[in-house]
Amino acid sequence: MPGDGTQIACMNVVMWRRTGGGVFYTTRSKLVSSFLMVALLVGVVSIYTGRQLLHSTVLRQTESRVSLDLNAANRIYQGQIDTIAAAINTAALHKEFSHLISRRERRKLGLMMRAVAQSNGLDFAGLASADGAIIVTQVRDAPVELSRTSTTNPLVQYVLAHRKGVAGTVVLDGSVLTPENQALAEQARPAFVPTAAATSRRGKEEPEVMAIGAASALFRGKELIGVIYGGQLLNGSVSFVDSVRDAVFQKDTHDGKSVGVTTIFLGDTRISSNALNPGGQRAVGTRVSDKVRNVVLVGGERWSDRAFVVNDWYLTAYEPITDIFGQRVGMLATALLEAKYRDVQQKALTPFMFVTIAGMLVAIAMGFLLSNKIMRPIRALIGASREVSRGNFAPEIGPASRDEIGVLQKTFTEMLSSLQERDERKAMESEIKLLQSEKQASVGRLAAGVAHEINNPLTGVLTFTHMLLRRTDLDEEMKGDLTIIAKATERVRTIVKGLLEFSRETVLAPEATDIDELVASAVKLVENSAFLKGVKLSFVPHRMLPLVKVDKSAMEGVLLNIIMNALDATPRCGSIMVNTGLSLRSIGKKGIEIRITDTGQGIAAENLKKIFEPFFTTKDVGQGTGLGLSVSLGIVERHDGSISVESTIGMGSTFTIWLPLGDDHE
Amino acid sequence: MTMNKRKILVVDDDPIVLECCKRVLALEDYLVTCVSSADDAFDNLEMGYFDLMIMDVKMPEQDGFYLLRKVKEKWPMDHYLELPVLVMTGYPTQETLKELKKCGARFIIPKPFTPDELQKAVTTALKRSMSHGKKESVGD
Repeated sequence: MPGDGTQIACMNVVMWRRTGGGVFYTTRSKLVSSFLMVALLVGVVSIYTGRQLLHSTVLRQTESRVSLDLNAANRIYQGQIDTIAAAINTAALHKEFSHLISRRERRKLGLMMRAVAQSNGLDFAGLASADGAIIVTQVRDAPVELSRTSTTNPLVQYVLAHRKGVAGTVVLDGSVLTPENQALAEQARPAFVPTAAATSRRGKEEPEVMAIGAASALFRGKELIGVIYGGQLLNGSVSFVDSVRDAVFQKDTHDGKSVGVTTIFLGDTRISSNALNPGGQRAVGTRVSDKVRNVVLVGGERWSDRAFVVNDWYLTAYEPITDIFGQRVGMLATALLEAKYRDVQQKALTPFMFVTIAGMLVAIAMGFLLSNKIMRPIRALIGASREVSRGNFAPEIGPASRDEIGVLQKTFTEMLSSLQERDERKAMESEIKLLQSEKQASVGRLAAGVAHEINNPLTGVLTFTHMLLRRTDLDEEMKGDLTIIAKATERVRTIVKGLLEFSRETVLAPEATDIDELVASAVKLVENSAFLKGVKLSFVPHRMLPLVKVDKSAMEGVLLNIIMNALDATPRCGSIMVNTGLSLRSIGKKGIEIRITDTGQGIAAENLKKIFEPFFTTKDVGQGTGLGLSVSLGIVERHDGSISVESTIGMGSTFTIWLPLGDDHE
Repeated sequence: MTMNKRKILVVDDDPIVLECCKRVLALEDYLVTCVSSADDAFDNLEMGYFDLMIMDVKMPEQDGFYLLRKVKEKWPMDHYLELPVLVMTGYPTQETLKELKKCGARFIIPKPFTPDELQKAVTTALKRSMSHGKKESVGD
C-alpha cells in the first residue's frame, strides 16, 4: 500500500522530534553550552583585543620605522649630493682650469672633465664659460660634440647668477641633455604607466629629467671665468635607490620581494624605484595617487599612511624634494610591504586561536563531566520517584551525596517514610471504620428484623394485659401481677423502639440552622429534669456562629441524648455546661463545635472506645438501651461531623460535637 | 341499632393482631370484619360498604401498598375518599410514611399499641373523615 510508507515516515519524524527536542533542554546541554559560551566569549574577546593591540602596535612601529627609513633615505640622498659637490669643488680648485679656459684648450679640458666624471661616477660633467656657453661637456666617458654654445643647465645658470657654487637637485629639460647625449636622454624620458590609485593623465610627453648635481664657479682673481658642473641622473638610475635599500632594509624579504622600497618621483611620476611590478620590472613611469600628490607636492608636507603602491599595499612615507631654486619638483618615498606585518600579526594571533579552540574543547569535556557528576544522583532520584509511583516505597536512591543533592536525597527518603506511615495509618483507620460500619449495619439489620417480628406478639401481650386490667372482678394480687406484665411489656416496647431508631436509615432533611437556637431549645427541654435532680445546667452560646445545614429534629435528638447522658452521670450539686464555638478541625475544614461538659463520674479509659458501640451501656438494667450514643454518632456522621469524648474518672467528661460549615463558608 | 354500627375492615396476616383489634373494637360497638390478606380485603370492599379500613403494611403475598393502589384504581375519587385508612406498622421509617401518605393512607398507628391507643386512633380517623378532615396522621 502506498500509504504505509508515508505513515512510517511521519512516525519517524515524530519520534525524532520527541527525542531530538529533549536533548536541547537537558542539564548537560545547558552546562556544556554555558561553558562553551564562556570559552568562546573569552576567546573571541582576547583574539579581538589582541588583534587590535597587535595591529596598533605593529602599525605604530611600522609607521615609525617607515619614517625613520625615509630619514635615512634622505640622508643618503643628501650624502650623494654632498659627494658630488665635494668632487666638483675639488676639481674647481685645480689651477689649470683657469689657464686652459682662457686659452680654450677644449681637448685638454675634455680630458680633465672626463677624469673628474670617471673618478666620481658622474653621468654628466662639463665646463661653461662666464657667458653661459658650454666649453666642454661629456656624458659618462664620451665627450659630446657641441652643436650650440649656450646652455639652459640650471646649475650653470645658478652659479652665473649668484657667483657661487651650488649643489642639489635639478630638473633638466630635454634641451639641456639632448646635446649632451641622445642615448641618455632617451633613457631618462619617463613613460607613463597607469596604476589603480593614480589618475591617468594625458598630456605632452614630459621631456624633463631629474638629476642631482653640483656646480662651482671658477675665478681668475676676482673675475668669474667659468663654471664647472657635474651630476648624476636620477631617471632610470638604480644605484641610489638600491643603495638605500641595501643600507636600510638590507636583505629583508617577503615572498621573494624586498620588504622595503625606495622611490624617487619627478613630479608625481616614479623615475627611479626598486618597487617591482608583477612582471618583475622596476615600476618606473607609474604615478603616485592624487591624494599623496596633493599633500606632498602641492602642500609640501610629509605623508605617512597605508598606500597602494603599484600593486600592493604598503606603509609609506613621502617627503617633497626641492630643487636648488627651492621649488618642489619631486618626492622621495620609502615604503614597507604591509603583507609582511600582516603575516606577523597572523602568526601572533594563531596561538590565540589554538588556545580558544582548546578552551572550547575543555569546556565541552568539563560540561560533560560536571553534568554527569551532578546528574548521576538526580537521575537516581528520578528513577526512585518512578519506583515510588509504581508503589515501591523503598527504592534505590544511589550513593549519598555530600552537597545539596544529599539534602534532597535525605528529604526524599524522609518524605517516603512519612508517606508510607500516612498510607499505613489511613489503611488502618479505614479498616477500623469499615469494621465498625459493618458491625453497625449487621446489628441494624438484626434489630430491624427482630423488632418487626416482635411487634405483633407484643401487640397481643399489650392488648390482652390491658383488657384484663380493665376488668373489675380482679383481686388485688392479680391486678398487681398484671400491672407488672404491662410494665415489663412497656419496657420491651421501649427497647424495640430504640432498636428500630438505631437501625432506621431515615432521610435527613438538612436546613440552615442557628445552632445556638437549636442548643438552647434542647437545653430548655432538659432544664426541668436537671432542676429536679439538683444539677446546675447552663448554656453559653457563641452568638456569632454562621448558620449550619443540619436536620433540626435529628440533631435535637442527638443533643438531648448527650445532655441526658450527662445528667444521668452527674450527681446532685454537680453541673453541666454547654457551649458553642467556631473550630478548625483540620486544615481547610472550618466548622462549629458544641461542647457538653459535665462534672460527673467520668468514663473509664477502657470504656471510652466502646461508648459509641450499639448496646453498650453502663446504666442499670432497664435504664438504657445502649443505643443512644451510637444512634447519635450515626446522625452526626451523616452530617459529615464527628463526636469526640474526653474524660477523667471522678472529674467529669466533655462531649464535643463537631459539624462542618458548608462550602460557602470556606 | 345494627344499622347504626360503624363497619370496620381489619387486614393483617397475623391472627394475634386480628384478634386484638376485634376484641378492642368490639368493646366500642363497631362492626368488625377481619381478613388475613390483601385480596380478601379487596373482595370485602367490593361487596360492601366500610367506614374504616385498618391494615398492616408488611404482609406475605400482597402487601398494604398493593391494596391501597388497588383501591385507588377501583374507586378513583368518590369511594376512595370516603374510605379512611388507618395503617398499622411495626417499622415506621420516614420513607414508609411518605410512601403511605402518597397512596392515600391518612392515619398511622405504630405497633405495638395498647387498647387505649387503638381506640383513640380509630375514633380520630372516623371523626376526621366524617368532617372531611384534612390529611393528618395519628400517633406520629
